[in-house]
Amino acid sequence: MRAALIDGKAIASDMRARIAAEAAELAEAGWQPKLVSISVGDTAAADLYVRNQKKQAESAGVQFEARAYPGETSLEQLTGILQGLNADPRVNGIIIQRPLPPHIPVKVLQKLVHPLKDVEGMHPASIGNIVYNDLALAPCTAVAAVEILKTLPLPIEGLNVTVIGHSEIVGKPIAFLMMGLGATVTVCHHMTRSVAMHSRAADAVFVAVGKPGLVKGDMLKPGAALIDIGINRVDGLTVGDADFDSCAEVAGWITPVPGGVGPVTVATLMQNAVLATRMQMDQYRESYAQTDV
Amino acid sequence: MSATLIDGKAFAATIRSKVADHVARLKKEQDLTPGLAVILVGEDPASQVYVRSKGKQTTEVGMTSFEHKLAADTSEAELLALIQHLNANPEVHGILVQLPLPDHMDEDLVINAIDPAKDVDGFHISNVGLLGTGQKSMVPCTPLGCLMMLRNHHGSLSGMNAVVIGRSNIVGKPMAQLLLGDSCTVTVAHSRTKDLAEVVRRADIVVAAVGRPEMVPGDWIQPGATVIDVGINRIEAPEKGEGKTRLVGDCHYASCAEVAGAITPVPGGVGPMTIACLLANTLTAACRANGLPEPDGLTA
Repeated sequence: MRAALIDGKAIASDMRARIAAEAAELAEAGWQPKLVSISVGDTAAADLYVRNQKKQAESAGVQFEARAYPGETSLEQLTGILQGLNADPRVNGIIIQRPLPPHIPVKVLQKLVHPLKDVEGMHPASIGNIVYNDLALAPCTAVAAVEILKTLPLPIEGLNVTVIGHSEIVGKPIAFLMMGLGATVTVCHHMTRSVAMHSRAADAVFVAVGKPGLVKGDMLKPGAALIDIGINRVDGLTVGDADFDSCAEVAGWITPVPGGVGPVTVATLMQNAVLATRMQMDQYRESYAQTDV
Repeated sequence: MSATLIDGKAFAATIRSKVADHVARLKKEQDLTPGLAVILVGEDPASQVYVRSKGKQTTEVGMTSFEHKLAADTSEAELLALIQHLNANPEVHGILVQLPLPDHMDEDLVINAIDPAKDVDGFHISNVGLLGTGQKSMVPCTPLGCLMMLRNHHGSLSGMNAVVIGRSNIVGKPMAQLLLGDSCTVTVAHSRTKDLAEVVRRADIVVAAVGRPEMVPGDWIQPGATVIDVGINRIEAPEKGEGKTRLVGDCHYASCAEVAGAITPVPGGVGPMTIACLLANTLTAACRANGLPEPDGLTA
């Protein structure tokens, strides 16, 4: 193996230490960061994630309340619940766990979360902000992938980047975050004629499509960075979208799956929680804390 | 020259006549007249020309035009109050604030005060995010015009390699989103891009939107590619006499036309499409506001 392995766990652990210090500082100022997670219906699939988020939150000094509602909860009831959380000054971030029952449209719920409490970065206003280069709250997985690339000794301005997959929560936000940082970005997807032609031209490749083995070593430029966002189960093993062995022979850096982007994503959620709390504190001070008449 | 000329002026006229047909039908069947409000602050001569032209074309397609001309020293609060008033007016379906605004005003704050459903320029942060997440939105006029021309010329754009030169908020970025929405493989190149010529040579579709006169020469173009030139630059034209000027695009027209399969001229290409798309957006907004089906082929 030629590529250097990118240690997502170590990056996440550094981030958590920074976040914990900031969370303590906010708590000191009377703004203890707090997340509320909403699950609806049969939550077995999401339970593992929720438990993991709770554990990570606690180690980063962020309070975490997990709420589970029955599957027959109506959209109107959930709307009321979200409005309550939006208004509650002690809640700084809202997470909507997926999957949701079929009668609850996820995009409608995401739009109901106040943009300042949108720690998942899924509100249209949050996406609009990253397109406009205001890098406030952005989708966690996309931010995590970009944060990982930033730890490498590659100058991002002018870097040729290929993003494989154009999903709204990963591929496209990565493209706009990287574009904002000055990279030349190409977005490929299932209609792209030759992914290899684009990936071979890239100094950094992000892949997020959910197809194991999609990227092979001969599709990479020697020495390129490969950030693998895919999480697939194959024969009882968790693998990414890249064929790890052949890619590791050609790439300069590569993220393992598991242990690459995943841990950094959860740390990013906590970073967003702290960021959201700070934005709310600033807004409060601007709007309500004036003593002048 | 071997390239087919994409005649934006003629195509814009067909879009306007489509819009006019829909407006006539809405009036007759629904007793509904789409209305567009344009706000101009100050006396910038170029802006005055645009606003006059927008107002004229709005009435020509049978819509109601509301023009609000405010003095340059109008306060931001007064402008915001006018926008609130127009947001609440059911006869106004589209609101456009002519940019640039005077220095004492915060453009982002003003644009984001417009009801997103009436934001026919497509600059409100919610519309940007809705477009970014593939949801129904108001789409910025200039890139929408480019998309319509490309669809009209090619039919399906699926699988084509598109290179957008320029990453501005009003053209480059929304253009990239729209091309992705039509299943192109999209590269956004810009001032920091290394070896721009090489990147452009891979493109089946080139959209140039940087505002640098004749920056793209013909030898950057893949033979047969389609070139959409968004740039409008005024340069000196001594051959026409002393002090004379002429308009050119971001592409070197003569050399690009030798190589390209199709090309938009400047002027007469993308330019005329922009106001036609503004009218199309106003029509779309009026239909959405009244729970009516949107006309086909007039939005993304």
